[in-house]
Amino acid sequence: MRIKEKIYLTPTPIRIWHWLNAFGIITLCVTGAEIRFPEFVHIFGNFKAVVRVHNAAGIVVALSFALWFIYYAFVARTLIKIYVPTVTDIRKGLIRQALYYFFYFFLGSKPNPHHQTPENKFNPLQKSAYMAMMLILTPIVIITGIFLMNVTPLRNFVLGIGALKVLVEVHWLLACSFCAFLFAHFYLATLGHTPFAHFIPMWTGWEEIEPNAHDEDATEEPKAAA
Amino acid sequence: MLRIIKQICIGGIAGCLLLAAPGAWGMDAQDCAECHLDTSIIEEGGRYLYIDPGQYNRSAHSEEGCPTCHISVSDDHPEDGVRPSRALCNSCHDSVAEEYAACNHAANADCTECHNPHQVKSIKTVSGFDMNGMCIECHDPKEVSGTHGVWLPQAQLHIEALPCITCHTGSENYVITFYIEKFEKRAGTATKLQLATFADLKAIAPAGKVEHLIDTNADGIINLAELKAFNSSSNKQGLKLKGMMTPQDASHTYSTLDNRWDCTFCHASGPSAMQISFVAIPDGQGTYMQIEVEPGAVLDAINGTPDFYMVGATRNKTLSYVGLIIVVAGLLMPIGHGSLRLLTMKNRKEEE
Repeated sequence: MRIKEKIYLTPTPIRIWHWLNAFGIITLCVTGAEIRFPEFVHIFGNFKAVVRVHNAAGIVVALSFALWFIYYAFVARTLIKIYVPTVTDIRKGLIRQALYYFFYFFLGSKPNPHHQTPENKFNPLQKSAYMAMMLILTPIVIITGIFLMNVTPLRNFVLGIGALKVLVEVHWLLACSFCAFLFAHFYLATLGHTPFAHFIPMWTGWEEIEPNAHDEDATEEPKAAA
Repeated sequence: MLRIIKQICIGGIAGCLLLAAPGAWGMDAQDCAECHLDTSIIEEGGRYLYIDPGQYNRSAHSEEGCPTCHISVSDDHPEDGVRPSRALCNSCHDSVAEEYAACNHAANADCTECHNPHQVKSIKTVSGFDMNGMCIECHDPKEVSGTHGVWLPQAQLHIEALPCITCHTGSENYVITFYIEKFEKRAGTATKLQLATFADLKAIAPAGKVEHLIDTNADGIINLAELKAFNSSSNKQGLKLKGMMTPQDASHTYSTLDNRWDCTFCHASGPSAMQISFVAIPDGQGTYMQIEVEPGAVLDAINGTPDFYMVGATRNKTLSYVGLIIVVAGLLMPIGHGSLRLLTMKNRKEEE
């Protein structure tokens, strides 16, 4: 029988951000689909309501992003450590983790090479994906959204960056990337030792871990992970 | 007997000529022009007596001539001290007058308060901005923006993008009218957007024909390829197409049709709904010539103009597909991995 212990992995501000972000993005995806394809998508029925819900969800996501950024950058001061892949992550970790997910996982021959700690929450694939989502795509989709909500006062800026058609299409493609990310993110969250193993800590903050777990990243190059 | 009949006929003709004297023997338009097109009449009698020749010659009424409306002008005018008569608008525009009389505006303004009869132009020869110019005379733009903002998202954007009469109209349908705007780029930011004048366009038009800037094959109709080509190249010339939705028919009801309260009337119609469009080009006389655009999904063809994007109707078809491919790819990953996961479940159980 394996002895399992619990670690406090996800602090409250991050859990609040996560669920605001999750429901906000789902709302944005659904309402966004109706706004772009109103002749095909009829979920809410009232176009004005759809626009207002979309705008409100956008504001919620922007505020929750600010909460996330302030917490990690100024309170915990672990933003770079947690979200930016190290050189080792890029050179070895990405391939090792991808091999696990797409090969060893099916064979059942090797355990997950990454084990979570509060300072090293994400595996190299997660780090890379979350960094792209949170530090590049999210700010851009928020900024384009703010421009689209305030076309009149920001008209000169809007025209300066190629006008509305550019702004809208950038916003659209980023939104599609978020939607695609959601599917993959939700599915990968079920790859814990039980299907809900990664969902519960995002609600309670506590994650079950195996105490003797061997973290290949940490043992190979402890300084890089620190 | 014949003599009596002849005398009656001569008497009748003479009587008719006398009765018709004010009109038949009065001044003609040229006589009127000598005084009323001269600014000195302002000092002599007041500004209302002066007719701006530039405005009048471009007006729809100029072809009628002064005596058509002012039939009582005598040869002794103005020494006779009689103020010439003025025709009532409904003498000619009876159906319009009837329509207008039934609307709320009728109690607040008569025809001439919006339409100066010496300057009135056809709806097709004025820009959407000029149309709003008449409304602004009474309706304060800030107040209008405030009252619309209560219920209309992005109220100011709507007000700037549409003539008021696109919504406040009896016209069931609208068309898209493109105008050409010029802009000056400063430090990478487009500033000072304003409608391009005839002189602006003439300076860059082939052989000075402004309409040939877009209608490059000079066949009198702009096809979608020509519009697309202009839209692509206009940025280099400091020009942009400005799209406005304008009413298809002139209407004087100023009511708001039920469907105009429903955002989906415009925003859910899809790119293929807006088939009728025109390009309005300044004609050098302060008015515009409307050139018909080949019927088709014009906004779809030109991917939206830089300064016109109607959510729910304007979208790039190619990028829509690219976006959908991204979403499907995101969906395929869990489906593919999940399927293999199910098929190899036994391997992981053995490991445990």
